[in-house]
Amino acid sequence: MMFLLWIRGVLARRFLRVAGAAAGIALTVALLSAMALFLANAGASMTARAVSAVPIDWQVQVISGADPALVGKALADAAPVKAVHQVRYADVAGFEAQTGGTTQTTGPGQAVAFDGSYLSDFPAEIRSLSGTLDGVLIAQQTAANLHVGPGDAVSIQRMGLPPVEVRIAGVVDLPDADALFQAVGLPPQAAPQAPPDNVLILPQEAWRQMFDPQQKARPDTTRLQLHARLAHAALPPDPVSAYTFVTAAQRNLEARVAGQALVADNLGSRLGAVREDALYASVLFLFLGLPGIALAVALTFAVTSSGAARRRAEQAMLRVRGATIKAILLLSATEAAVAAIAGTAIGMAAASLLAAVAPGLKATVGIDGPTLLLVAVFGLLVGLIAFLYPAWRDARWVTVAAARRTVNRPNAPLWQRLWLDGLLLAAAGLFFWQSASTGYQIVLAPEGVAATSVDYKAFIAPALFWLGMALLTIRLSATIIARNGALLRMIVAPVSGALAPVVSAALSRQAGRLTIGIAMTALSISFATSTAIFNTTYNAQARIDAELTNGSDVTVFGTTDKPAGAHLKALASLPEAAAAEPMQHRFAYVGTDLQDLYGIDPHRIGRATGLSDAYFSGASAAGTLALLAATSDGVLVSEETVQDFQLQQGDTINLRLMDARDHQYHPVPFKFIGVAREFPTAPKDSFLVANSAYVARTTGSDASEYVLMRARADPAALARKASSVLTFDPSLKVADIGQAAHLIGSSLTAVDLGGLTTIELGFAVVMAAAAAGLMLALGFYERRRPFAILAAIGAKPRQLAAFLWSEGLLILVGGMTFGLISGLLTAWMLVKLLTGVFDPPPEALSIPWLYLAVVSGLVAASVIAAVLSARPSTGQTAEQLRDL
Amino acid sequence: MGERLVIAKGLGRDFRDGNSGRINVLRDVDCEIAPGARIAIVGPSGSGKTTLLHILGGLDRPTAGTVEWPALGAFETLRPRHIGFVFQSPSLFPALTAVQNVGLPMLLAGENIGASDIGASLLQSFDLDELGDKLPEELSGGQAQRIAMARALAMGPKLLLADEPTGQLDSRTALLFLDAVLDRLEATDIALVIATHDEIVANRMATRWTMDHGRLTTGHRPGAVTA
Repeated sequence: MMFLLWIRGVLARRFLRVAGAAAGIALTVALLSAMALFLANAGASMTARAVSAVPIDWQVQVISGADPALVGKALADAAPVKAVHQVRYADVAGFEAQTGGTTQTTGPGQAVAFDGSYLSDFPAEIRSLSGTLDGVLIAQQTAANLHVGPGDAVSIQRMGLPPVEVRIAGVVDLPDADALFQAVGLPPQAAPQAPPDNVLILPQEAWRQMFDPQQKARPDTTRLQLHARLAHAALPPDPVSAYTFVTAAQRNLEARVAGQALVADNLGSRLGAVREDALYASVLFLFLGLPGIALAVALTFAVTSSGAARRRAEQAMLRVRGATIKAILLLSATEAAVAAIAGTAIGMAAASLLAAVAPGLKATVGIDGPTLLLVAVFGLLVGLIAFLYPAWRDARWVTVAAARRTVNRPNAPLWQRLWLDGLLLAAAGLFFWQSASTGYQIVLAPEGVAATSVDYKAFIAPALFWLGMALLTIRLSATIIARNGALLRMIVAPVSGALAPVVSAALSRQAGRLTIGIAMTALSISFATSTAIFNTTYNAQARIDAELTNGSDVTVFGTTDKPAGAHLKALASLPEAAAAEPMQHRFAYVGTDLQDLYGIDPHRIGRATGLSDAYFSGASAAGTLALLAATSDGVLVSEETVQDFQLQQGDTINLRLMDARDHQYHPVPFKFIGVAREFPTAPKDSFLVANSAYVARTTGSDASEYVLMRARADPAALARKASSVLTFDPSLKVADIGQAAHLIGSSLTAVDLGGLTTIELGFAVVMAAAAAGLMLALGFYERRRPFAILAAIGAKPRQLAAFLWSEGLLILVGGMTFGLISGLLTAWMLVKLLTGVFDPPPEALSIPWLYLAVVSGLVAASVIAAVLSARPSTGQTAEQLRDL
Repeated sequence: MGERLVIAKGLGRDFRDGNSGRINVLRDVDCEIAPGARIAIVGPSGSGKTTLLHILGGLDRPTAGTVEWPALGAFETLRPRHIGFVFQSPSLFPALTAVQNVGLPMLLAGENIGASDIGASLLQSFDLDELGDKLPEELSGGQAQRIAMARALAMGPKLLLADEPTGQLDSRTALLFLDAVLDRLEATDIALVIATHDEIVANRMATRWTMDHGRLTTGHRPGAVTA
């Protein structure tokens, strides 16, 4: 009965306090639930995206003499298989063709045969460039080497057998040649083999006619592979579980077919790479999400503590009347239970609502009842502790007289006397320096190794910094306020006028309460700022990464025979195009290493694509391009090439380029002038960048294989327009940046931050507004009587407002100042520590001015709302005095 | 006899009760207060003493009748310049020291210069000068009430209204407090109206008004204003 009476009284008289605490708990529970949903969905979408990008899940190579049917059966027994096809390979000594009165020959190559319906299940393996897909197909590079096209004859130099002649039906690109021609059975650490330069694809029957004799004569020169696509729906949604599932199935198959077949697990390798992204998603959750949850919990505690003075006085009254500590705690527990249950219920409802509307949260794969139950239990615990701990502490330690005080003389707490804030910041600096200076990776998921690791030490620096900044905010705020010096009077003067001395004196006696308000506001703004800056920087880098992969907003990919540059005028005149620039894409031998060579106009390339300083080593992008422009025979090479060939700046290197006049490779001298780490459309390992005019002059061809296009607005719209202009030539491929962003596998955009940051930025705004406005409103609510007395002794409404506005202004100025500084530094630290998710690393932080302006505006609005709601109504002084 | 400080005619005040009905707290009250008056308003709890005091001090508006302050000027200037208030429960601003609390009405009246000096001087007159730097919560009940009285007198008001100022004090402290107040007001024409349950306090006043069920039933003696 007593508890019912108590709770009725609390709800009637202290509703705002209970509602505030419930709101804090609701925020915590909703944020935590949304985070859990994000993590599960991020993992599931990563797995789905990763498996969809694998052209051949498994390649099972049947050992000579083994029965392919038995191996196929073992394959079906070992894993959920959706499709299996046979692919035959034969090594050949070379190809030969007669064109224009000259004979062209190639080095060793391979003749491949797919079974009948192969391309319907593995459509990504072949891309038609010209001719048809029915008949003998020749790889683009081989066709270029032999100067042949559809309708031409090619002679196949078989091993130990006389050559046979075939007629070419089509020229194709083999986008997945690396996997298609990989050496099956090598350990994961083995160096990857380059795919063959010369490939001919034969119909299966033709292959058997030509190479069955070779198989008998030289069984070591032919191979049979079974290409399998697994049933992806059967995979677990989490990348780590999916990796474990697939690799276990692979081992099972290996055990079943030991001595009969070898297995290349492309799907497992891809999932292995995605594990790292999944771990980064977890790391991002920890870095970005946990501060939000900690903040929501702290806000709950701050809200409950905002009524601590009054509650202590109430408890003191109870103690005076003989209540035991147990009875007091039970009364507090009743109040806590109401706030915790209401807050948890509201939080769960808000999370359900979010899951229904927020991007990336709609599917609830992997989230089950126990997880949400755990979140609910956490919310309930937070609520109970937030109420019970101060009640227990006060009942246990504080004297009745002390408990009834609502204003206390400032007394520096132990942490301030120990300079804990300074120590935490210094330790954060040390850990950060140690982590950032050693160029380590936070996440390690070594290829072929099931175990993964996250360097959790990296979390220490931001965690310590966060705590240190919070304590420093409290120290500085408390010092400035308690000292009641010129700075405090200067801050409050604009709104308190002649009352500034007495207002600042009043504020100085409430330093404890005010500093908590400032600290909570600062932490909220810091959280919002750091998350928003990290997110904006991340998105900017994701765009750079996508642009790097795609080349520009829109890129038209052609070949030397069918260069996209031939249509430059038509493409440049599209109204959606802001700029269109040609770029050569050739191949050049560096020693025996065939590398991609990009020929550009250094003066103009920047009009169509962004070139970041991070793309170049030792100089800025502008400086490097200027040097290239000034050195007609200059060449930029990759770091790997510099090391492999021990190159020095200024060295002359002879590259072998194909001459358009005789279709032979000839040495061309270049001067090594700089290092390029990345370049639009270039592969990650080795490539070359040179002046297009020099390449054109020395190769006898000014063809530009690619055209890079900058869109005025929507790249997808420009891509559609460009495609419509180029429909007559299907060999030209148009790709926009959006497609590239979707396809990038293990790099930045694989971790979809959209959901996480949408949740966080939304919650950050709410928490920042709540921290400032709610804390202020609760403070005012608890001090209605002093304000009523002020009115009673003659304070005019504007004078009462001076006290309220001064307090609001102090929390606003303090919270914004410390919050923005802390947020900026935290974002900088996060970006430095999480370099692994940025590729290439950002040159500078991207500041989301609009979002920060919105957050600042909402915080200011919440402060204004709190002040306006606290202003006593005219003529109600007597009633308020009577009621309070 | 000077111009009346307050003239109230037919005062009535009703409040909404919890059951959407109305409670008449004051009914048809007529009264006047002259300069230098010493009036005790007595009556049982809930009889309307505090409400009458609030209306006389301009803190509350009557729902019936009129109240005027002929000698005190416009309503807007009544507090803190002409009327001082002392309340039953702690009424000092908790975040200000004793001397700041005493000087507060002067600051609210726009008299910034010398507020703290006058505050200190008033504290001295109540033998409280050593408490100037104390916060209200560091004071005893009697000390706090004396400081509240000093604050009420800070602007040199013409009317001092005190609502049960000794209600939370023991009888000895109450007497000491009352003596200090009366000594301070002696030889001034500041009118003092005290609402009280305390017969000892009431007996020290020259005039006794008795409230019962919202009516001023006895003691309304216009002109009974001398100390």
